[in-house]
Amino acid sequence: MAKNRLRSALSHVVDLKPGEEVIAVFLFLYFFFITSPYYIIKSLRNASYLSGLGDEKLPLAYFLTAILMGFIVTFHSRLQVRLPRSRLIIFSLVFFFSNIILFWWLFERGWKWVPVVFWVWANIFAIVLVTQFWILVNDVFNPREAKRMIGFIGSGAQLGAILGGFLAGVLAKKASGLLLPLAAGMLGLGILVVSAIFKRQRQKTEETDKEAGGKPSRPAGKVGFRDAFETTRKSPYLVLLSGIMMATLVVSTLIDWQFNSIVQNKVAGGEHNLTSFFGYFNAGTMFFAFLFQLLLTSPIIKGLGIRGSLLLYPFILFVGTGGIGLAALAGVITLAPAILIKASDKGLAYSLNQSVRELLYIPISPEQKYKSKIFIDMFLNRFAKGLGAVILAVLLWLVPRAPGNQGGQGAIRYISLIVLAIIAVWVFLNFRIGREYANLVKAKLQKQYERGDLLVDQRLDVDFTKLVFDTVESKNRSSVLYSMNLFDLIRRDKLTPEVRKLISYRTDEIRAASLGGMFEQTETGLGPQTEDELSEDVLKKEVSEIMNLDVYQDVMKDYLEKTLADKSAGAEVARMEAAKAIGFMGSRAPLAGKLEDLLEDESPDVCRYAILSAAALKRRVDVPVLVQKLKSPALREDAMDALRKFGPRIAGTMSDYLADRGEDTELRKTAAAILASIGTQEAADYLSWELTGAGDALVDEVIDALDRIRTADSRVRFPGETIRLMISKETRLYCQDLVDLHSGVQPLEESASRRREKRLSDSLWNIFKLLGLIYPQEDMIKAYQNLKVGTKNSIAYSLELLDNILERDIRDVIFPVVEDLPLEEKVKRCRNLLAGFRSGRDSAG
Amino acid sequence: MRIEARHKNDIVIFDLEGEIKRSDITDVTLHQLVKEQLDSGKRKIILNFDAVEFIDSFGVGEILASYISTHNLGGKLKLVKISKKLFLIFQVTMLTKVLDIYEEEETALKSFF
Repeated sequence: MAKNRLRSALSHVVDLKPGEEVIAVFLFLYFFFITSPYYIIKSLRNASYLSGLGDEKLPLAYFLTAILMGFIVTFHSRLQVRLPRSRLIIFSLVFFFSNIILFWWLFERGWKWVPVVFWVWANIFAIVLVTQFWILVNDVFNPREAKRMIGFIGSGAQLGAILGGFLAGVLAKKASGLLLPLAAGMLGLGILVVSAIFKRQRQKTEETDKEAGGKPSRPAGKVGFRDAFETTRKSPYLVLLSGIMMATLVVSTLIDWQFNSIVQNKVAGGEHNLTSFFGYFNAGTMFFAFLFQLLLTSPIIKGLGIRGSLLLYPFILFVGTGGIGLAALAGVITLAPAILIKASDKGLAYSLNQSVRELLYIPISPEQKYKSKIFIDMFLNRFAKGLGAVILAVLLWLVPRAPGNQGGQGAIRYISLIVLAIIAVWVFLNFRIGREYANLVKAKLQKQYERGDLLVDQRLDVDFTKLVFDTVESKNRSSVLYSMNLFDLIRRDKLTPEVRKLISYRTDEIRAASLGGMFEQTETGLGPQTEDELSEDVLKKEVSEIMNLDVYQDVMKDYLEKTLADKSAGAEVARMEAAKAIGFMGSRAPLAGKLEDLLEDESPDVCRYAILSAAALKRRVDVPVLVQKLKSPALREDAMDALRKFGPRIAGTMSDYLADRGEDTELRKTAAAILASIGTQEAADYLSWELTGAGDALVDEVIDALDRIRTADSRVRFPGETIRLMISKETRLYCQDLVDLHSGVQPLEESASRRREKRLSDSLWNIFKLLGLIYPQEDMIKAYQNLKVGTKNSIAYSLELLDNILERDIRDVIFPVVEDLPLEEKVKRCRNLLAGFRSGRDSAG
Repeated sequence: MRIEARHKNDIVIFDLEGEIKRSDITDVTLHQLVKEQLDSGKRKIILNFDAVEFIDSFGVGEILASYISTHNLGGKLKLVKISKKLFLIFQVTMLTKVLDIYEEEETALKSFF
């Protein structure tokens, strides 16, 4: 109940699902309780350093921080090797808590070296605790959860920064001695929150472990700094991430200098005014970052996806620094653009960029994540800032010597050019990592199963299997038919030793007069070779030549006419033999015409042999009869196989049957399946044309046929507009069924309910088949299968994959259907979607 | 290929020897020899394959042409002592349904009466 109220309250600012309320609030508080003391500490750090040593000594602080950070990273890595994650984080918090108390005491002593140590320590405080926070976030959430909640959780930092800065501002003049105890108190609350988080995580892990049969859910990470570096170096993805981090920080450093340079020139009134300006500016920036994080980060990430969001930050900085560069070139620099670009930089860096960067870590394994974060966030961060400072120093040394230099303005425009170049590299890296991110998410998803029909096609030669059965069955029926079936096996190079063994089983039952036994010997059989052996190749050649002799056709004509005319039960086998024999002839052989009569034979056995021969001869004239056989349940499969063998030649004919509303529905369905087997672009076009008008009875078959064509040949193209229309249509059907099933207004009867459930399932499968026609099919299959049978994480990665691949209009349509939501919420979203469809239709009308 | 004709009463027996194939055509083919016998009024013909080593589709064509010619004149043509492999080919091509095939010459001779 309390959780529901909490979720309801939070639902205004964050999209939470049941069970997520507590952890979201805990993580928000964790971030809040490490940033609020840091902003108190930061104010004290700057004030104590500047008043004690002056700004001319700041490079010393930068240098010491950079050097010490390397040692700290190594030390932190070693601790991580020895301690479990929970203990490491809590130990770190307790360590920094005790340090604050220590510094409180040290500041009382008034020793001159204390501000230097405090400066370096404060930077380590921020880096270590913030890095640990994000590591925990990555451990707790999967990509979908993180994407939804990151805005809310991250806003804890902005709020903490605003509060910390505000408290420092208020208390500094009245009770500065309370600042450090206050910071320690806040950090102490942070320790309590983190302890609660780990307690909760332990309980959840135990539950998960129980569900997983006692297997631990996460391996414990035990690595050193070298491992962290090696892990990053060996992964192209992490190298890209490092490159982006470097570019971001170098750009940020250069923009910071541009801003400071402009402010120094434009803000008059001495040090107090400057301090006041920076104070207001920092507060305003953090407030902007807070609002941005709280209100815009999640919608932007959800709306633009990771790839789009990655580009927003560099794009804004590109425009800003480009504008400043142009203004510098024109000699009209004012304070406003400098404030805008700096505010954008800081605001976006602490909100959108931070969140997106953290999301980029999510598809990699927890161990890789932990190792690389240590290297990137702790070491590379400092290194990049140092690199930015070096570039700046070199530029400032070079630019005053450049011709036409006008003091600061001259340097600003050159720095703008450098920044634009680095942003170009940054954008390039962003594109690359966006692609790699999608690939990593795909790699997280395993295909659960193959389509049954594909498996049969791949692993089983159905024609061959049927022929073996026919051969065995014909043994006791007719020696001629048996011989012909055996010859057919030879003709297809399928009379393997295994097959010989199979068909010669219980040969004692075969009549001695049958020379079928000969096939079962030597090269064409099982016995020793003799001079009398008949090579299979010779046999094939001879039979083919004989049957196409005019004289053979003449000799057999009378016999076949008599046989076909004899409709007695005893003549059935003779007609079967005739039907089989015609299949060995050429399609232009005069006797091949007899097949038309045999296809109409009243005996299904005769008809079946005739169908097989029609498939072998592929005479156009037999197609209408074969199509009519599709109506017969006993012969449908054989007729379908026969028509498939005609291939693209009959695509147009099949499309005519498919489109004929007056035709038998089963026949039209089979026509769709045959077009699928034909599998050409033409067949796909016919099916696509029929798609929108197929009607309820046929739509599943047409979509399935298109899906099969896509599976067989990825080069075939499908009309995007039609497919999108059908995706909307299927989604509407799904929503309507879901609403009807769960509206609760009028409970459905059990059978009706079952029908709806099946239709729901069919519609969902249809949606994904349709998606597979215009997006990578393999990815859509993976997404569908993992949605259907996957674990919570599989579902999350499926959605993440879809989020990264699908265009926005399609995403908006299908996400209410596929998203992992409580039923009540899903029904609500489906209702909204249906209302949207209705209003869209009305306005279109 | 060598072909010798024997007569038993009004029955003509052709003893075939060697290979009956397209690449080994002699001046006078089996069909021509059969037709000569038909022209001379014979209507009962036996083809003896006992000494035939090989027969190809051309050879089968000769047999069938002979069968048609005999049949069209109301006569009978029978085959004796064909090899297993030829019988196999005849089965696959369904010629066993049309042609009269006997294992022994004696049986074939008796069948005319």
